[in-house]
Amino acid sequence: MKLIRLVTLCCSALLIAGGAVAQEKGKKGKGQKKGPAALAIPNVEKKDIICFALYTVNDEVLKLTAQLYPVPEGDTKTVRLEIEKDGKWVEVAKTEVIEKGWTAPFRVENWDDTQTQKYRVLHGEEASYEGTIRRNPIDKDEIVVAGFTGNSINAKHGGDLSRQDLIDNVNKVDADVLFFSGDQVYDHHRHYAAWLKFGRDFGEIIKDRPTLCLPDDHDAGQPNLWGESGKISTLSGAADGGYSQPGEYVQEVERAQTSHMPDPVDPHTIGQGIGVWFTNLNWGNIDFAILEDRKFKTGPAGRVPKQGPRPDHILNPDYDPASVDVEGAILLGDRQLKFIDEWAQDWTDADMKVALSATIFCGGAHIHGAANGRLHADMDSNGWPQTGRNNALRGLRKGFAFHYAGDQHLATIFQQGIDEYGDAIYSFCVPSIANLYLRWWEPLEAGPNREPGAPEYTGDHLDGFANKVTNFAAANPEKNPAGNILNTRAAGFGIVRFNTKTRDIEMECWPRNVDVTDPEAKQYPGWPMTISQFDNYNPRSWGKLGELTFDVEDPVVQLIDADTDEILYTVRASGKSFTPGAPKGKTFIVKAGKDAPETTVSEAAKVGSEPQTVTLK
Amino acid sequence: MTLPKPDQLLLLILRLGGFGCFAGWAWVLFYWEGPYGVLLWQDSIYALAEKIGISWDEFVGSGAQDGLVQKWHSRIGWLYLICAILTLTVRNNSRIQMAGLIGGSGLLVLLSYAKYLSANQQLPMFVEHGGQMLIPVILVLALRFGVRHRATVVTAMVAFVMIFAGHGAYALGYPSPTPANFLGMTSIILRVDAEMARFILRVAGIMDMLVCVGLFFRPLRRGAALYAAVWGFLTAVARPVAGMSLGLNYWGADQYLHEVVLRAPHFMIPLYLLFLWRKADEPDSLTAPVPISSGNTDPQTCRL
Repeated sequence: MKLIRLVTLCCSALLIAGGAVAQEKGKKGKGQKKGPAALAIPNVEKKDIICFALYTVNDEVLKLTAQLYPVPEGDTKTVRLEIEKDGKWVEVAKTEVIEKGWTAPFRVENWDDTQTQKYRVLHGEEASYEGTIRRNPIDKDEIVVAGFTGNSINAKHGGDLSRQDLIDNVNKVDADVLFFSGDQVYDHHRHYAAWLKFGRDFGEIIKDRPTLCLPDDHDAGQPNLWGESGKISTLSGAADGGYSQPGEYVQEVERAQTSHMPDPVDPHTIGQGIGVWFTNLNWGNIDFAILEDRKFKTGPAGRVPKQGPRPDHILNPDYDPASVDVEGAILLGDRQLKFIDEWAQDWTDADMKVALSATIFCGGAHIHGAANGRLHADMDSNGWPQTGRNNALRGLRKGFAFHYAGDQHLATIFQQGIDEYGDAIYSFCVPSIANLYLRWWEPLEAGPNREPGAPEYTGDHLDGFANKVTNFAAANPEKNPAGNILNTRAAGFGIVRFNTKTRDIEMECWPRNVDVTDPEAKQYPGWPMTISQFDNYNPRSWGKLGELTFDVEDPVVQLIDADTDEILYTVRASGKSFTPGAPKGKTFIVKAGKDAPETTVSEAAKVGSEPQTVTLK
Repeated sequence: MTLPKPDQLLLLILRLGGFGCFAGWAWVLFYWEGPYGVLLWQDSIYALAEKIGISWDEFVGSGAQDGLVQKWHSRIGWLYLICAILTLTVRNNSRIQMAGLIGGSGLLVLLSYAKYLSANQQLPMFVEHGGQMLIPVILVLALRFGVRHRATVVTAMVAFVMIFAGHGAYALGYPSPTPANFLGMTSIILRVDAEMARFILRVAGIMDMLVCVGLFFRPLRRGAALYAAVWGFLTAVARPVAGMSLGLNYWGADQYLHEVVLRAPHFMIPLYLLFLWRKADEPDSLTAPVPISSGNTDPQTCRL
């Protein structure tokens, strides 16, 4: 009987699946557009040829990239940038539009970031696009960063619905920075058309504030990305490492999404002439490290023992996690680790540090796909390779960095652990704008050390690679989503408020189509959550050195292991006193300074040592 | 009755083509993952499962344990393995085995349909699997009616056209741009940049279309079949050639070799036609009725 039912089901599957897919493909009208139609490049009038513009200002350099529709043959390729001074428009730069992708990148040095300035981008006689370059908000106590990921436009799960709620909410909270963590574009062949649509959808908020876009796998035209320094990938699924699309395609993607970001700190190109964009942005006294967690990463296919039906998936819960942590497997790579090490020590004009990357440094989901597809571990996550993951976290915690990311289609808050639970940074993974692919954080066993009353999935866990993680929240979608669009699929966005005075970090996780200023509006369960900047490196096993009292506000303090000379951390203290945390039973050199740790305060500090008054003036 | 040697060779080619196809897919289903997911992971399928009394947990698993979907996904591999064996054991009087192979063809149609759906309903994806879908049918026809029977040859020609029209369409960038992995493989193997790889693939796409046409012109058909056999083999081996490396576990063989094996019909069907037409100008081998088996009651032979 069971067999008959099964056979009936299988036969029906063929018909229904075909019908369902065909129905999706044919869905048109009634306000819904299927993806391909939405990606048609409109024929615009000459006055509308500039679609949108993105910018950042860092270290007195303005970088702005105007995105144009195709410029007709015979029309000028010159694009001008003007700013308004004393009621008059003054040209500050001009550039030639790059035909592959129709981008016009501007770079203006000696930019006065103490003033808000209106700008306009001009093309020919008719086209003009206006926006505002904000002043650097160094006097603001709270810097608001709105975070987004996964901009699917597929109608099947609500990707075709208006983004107006996101636009309205960004304007209501007056976000200082926009962070798009990846998958701004899902079309694997037509990045340009999809990027124009992204600009039409978000240009209204992007044009007036610094915006950071991190191109991820789908942006680069493939389902997953292990970049392997620019290798060519030929395996379906790309787990062999490298880029599926030709280098010129990837270069065009990166030019569109990242050419407005601060100059890369180490600009050497990788394979196929693909550039790099890892760098930092200092805005409002927040120092953002912009990381490329895909570009150098090793592909797992053929390098790790097979553990599941795909080279990057591990299904066997009894496998030996150490067996996949193979020698030579790279996550961020030496160039980025060096950058992180230097960035974590440099507190010039910085009160807090934030790391931005595509995804989080752990396996942050158990169930993948449309139903109960339990996956023990996913090598697309930054939980693998474990050594690379630990190296990245060791670097980031030295600067008490908070980690802001996306990609997972599942909003979570984790505190990462390396040697013990909770000995590294916090991460907030934001939900997708529209959720293409469902995931759930659903450990089989309840986590120890949970907050009182917290769900069983929170607390201390080992992820699928035996990485130590402590979960605080997960916006799991419904198991069988009712309506199957947006919020039942746990779509939404994140807001993080960085208070540079109190050093608090407040994480908010909002569903779609709510008014975040409405007191009745509810966030996903587990949010909001507030941590201190100093929680990002505060292992449970540590004790405290004696309190340091300074004669200057907010000095920079550095701890060095007296035996190994290894820098344990560098951080800007809050106020005139600071009590450094440190491992028990070890001796430390403590250095401090107004903006850099130039003065040795103690050469033999230990947990429990006496308070000390320090003169730095 | 014993077949003439040339006909034994033709039958062997068809057997090997079928065996490779089924064995390759069995390999995929046992070792990796079949493409059937797109048919099963649908809300409407869950609803149907519940309607006929299969619970949610039974169907998709509890999370900790596999459900019917996961279990049957790998069990289907056994059916392919059985079909692979049948391609070697089937004889002209074993109707059950022939029926099994026709069933296997049905499985391959289902599989190709699943790939077509997951490829966003791109027609060339389904069409290019024509050789794989039809190889068991061609083998059965060859056994039942003869390797030179019109039905066998026509079906082989249809399969040939499907393979190379599908390939050619993709290489020419229809309906979407040329698949990136085609460009990647070309760039790696021939050490050319993407622009040159695109040009080479366009030429190859045009050639694919031309051999489909050439198949129907008597003076051209042997050349077309020869080109297709070589090109079909080269495109199949391109995957391991581009992807395998000494630095990988098993040199990456487990990642790529099955891609060659399951594409056996892509070069075996043209090879069959090439050998069939090898002595096309010798009247006694082509035009004379050759009863090849006890099952061959139809005296009609191929005059195509």
